[in-house]
Amino acid sequence: MKTIIVACGSGVATSQTVASKVDKLCKERKIPAKVMAVDIKSLEQNIRIADVYISIAPSNKDYGIPTISGIPFLTGVGMEETMDQLEEILKK
Amino acid sequence: MKEVINYILDLGPAVFLPLIMIIVGLIVRMKFSTAFSSALTLGVAFLGMSVVIDFMFDAIGPASEAFVNNTGLQLNILDLGWPPNAAIAWAWPYAFFMFPIQIVINLLMLGFNKTNCLNLDLWNVWNKIFTAVIVSGITNSLAMGFIVASIEVVLELKNADLTQKQIQRMTGIPGIALPHSMALTAVVLAPLNRLLDFIPGLKNVEIDAESLKEKLGIFGENHVMGFIIGIFIALFAKYDLKSTLTLAVQAATALTLFPMVATLFMKALAPISDAAGEFMKKRFPGKEIYIGLDWPFLAGQPEVWVTCILLVPVILLMAVILPGNGVLPFGGILNICFAATALIVCNKNLVRMLILGVIATPLYLYVGTAFAPHITNLARQVGTIDIPVNQMITWNGMEAPEFRYVFSRAANIINGDYFGLVLLAGYVALYIWYFKHMKAREAEAAKDLGLS
Repeated sequence: MKTIIVACGSGVATSQTVASKVDKLCKERKIPAKVMAVDIKSLEQNIRIADVYISIAPSNKDYGIPTISGIPFLTGVGMEETMDQLEEILKK
Repeated sequence: MKEVINYILDLGPAVFLPLIMIIVGLIVRMKFSTAFSSALTLGVAFLGMSVVIDFMFDAIGPASEAFVNNTGLQLNILDLGWPPNAAIAWAWPYAFFMFPIQIVINLLMLGFNKTNCLNLDLWNVWNKIFTAVIVSGITNSLAMGFIVASIEVVLELKNADLTQKQIQRMTGIPGIALPHSMALTAVVLAPLNRLLDFIPGLKNVEIDAESLKEKLGIFGENHVMGFIIGIFIALFAKYDLKSTLTLAVQAATALTLFPMVATLFMKALAPISDAAGEFMKKRFPGKEIYIGLDWPFLAGQPEVWVTCILLVPVILLMAVILPGNGVLPFGGILNICFAATALIVCNKNLVRMLILGVIATPLYLYVGTAFAPHITNLARQVGTIDIPVNQMITWNGMEAPEFRYVFSRAANIINGDYFGLVLLAGYVALYIWYFKHMKAREAEAAKDLGLS
């Protein structure tokens, strides 16, 4: 099973919101995946076990794994497209 | 009726919060099983937080007492950071009323074109609850608490409008805005930042924040920072090596567990904020609006973390030397509320952010000191948290300290505190300047984005 990681400033509110939304959407699409919300300050430690990184905080850093934007899961704008993108990555 | 309410309140927040939550859940048409599970999670979150706070006081309480005895510094107010304060705010019996207040104000302002921001960040409703708690504690008036909290809602939305394009220019994300109350502190930071324009050479200082963050990043991790603060307190408490290391690991534990437990609050409240968000979105389909989000979309900017970390020694030093400060910095030592706001005000100029940080640190410490009795009182009233008799709690680095202080003093006019009006007049004058200043900056950002 693939691991998806979502990070925000404290690993409490925003990342949790996105993680539970992605988890729900994965279940709806029958994609087996584990979604984790983490503190961005400890991202380096956590990213090693992840297959995909959903970023709420855009930065120039490359973590060496596929990264997609988490903002659509918060605003609802373009959410389906982003989810298609995620599904594509997870199927690989 | 009154007896029933008192009986329910007497059950303590770990019991009455889930009861309220089930009712609210059913009102927003949740399935009973989901409502029950969420409600119980809220009770668990609250008791869980109490357990961690008790653990923390057992460990750090005696150390901070020894700190006070050895140094003669009256730092008997322990800074717990935001998670325990959020727990206390949610435990306020009137907390849930803040949801409809924020939503109605937002929809009205959108309807009358007074804002372009639809605030879907319903997690930070607790900021306004916290304001209402403090103000009603100071004024003894529930109405005043809600009035000031409502003003905060309005100013937050206005502020989202005043920063939207600048934030888009910085992050590259269109369609979102920051209605977080932390950013209200820009009202005092922006004029200071303007003054820095008169210092020659400041504009041209270039620092690679990304590589600095790579080097300093480890200090931003909660457990590492807890460990360091633990050692700091133990040194002043004159502990021996064994006790020092024990305290340091205990402090690391507390700072690691606080946000973990706070996640439970989020999990419990998520179905309600989802339902409320859907409700709000349905009211404004197709209209040109910005979605208001919580601050973490700024967390990818390395300047935020470098500023937080470099200000730690400044905060500790100021806590020790500032006359009248009572706050022992601990849980709120990484001042995100300042750093994220300064990021916007200074447009990512790290040197400016640090200079403003030194200037603003006393504001956070003094307001933390001033509000400590009221936060402590509420924590004691809600019962399950045991705070030692000669200790108080607070939050260094709370969002919008200047707003909360000025407006709580102004609201206290009902008890004859006229000085609050002087403060309020000053705030309004500052705000008018700020409003014009930010309008101009927004226009400039819009131009850079090719929008005008």
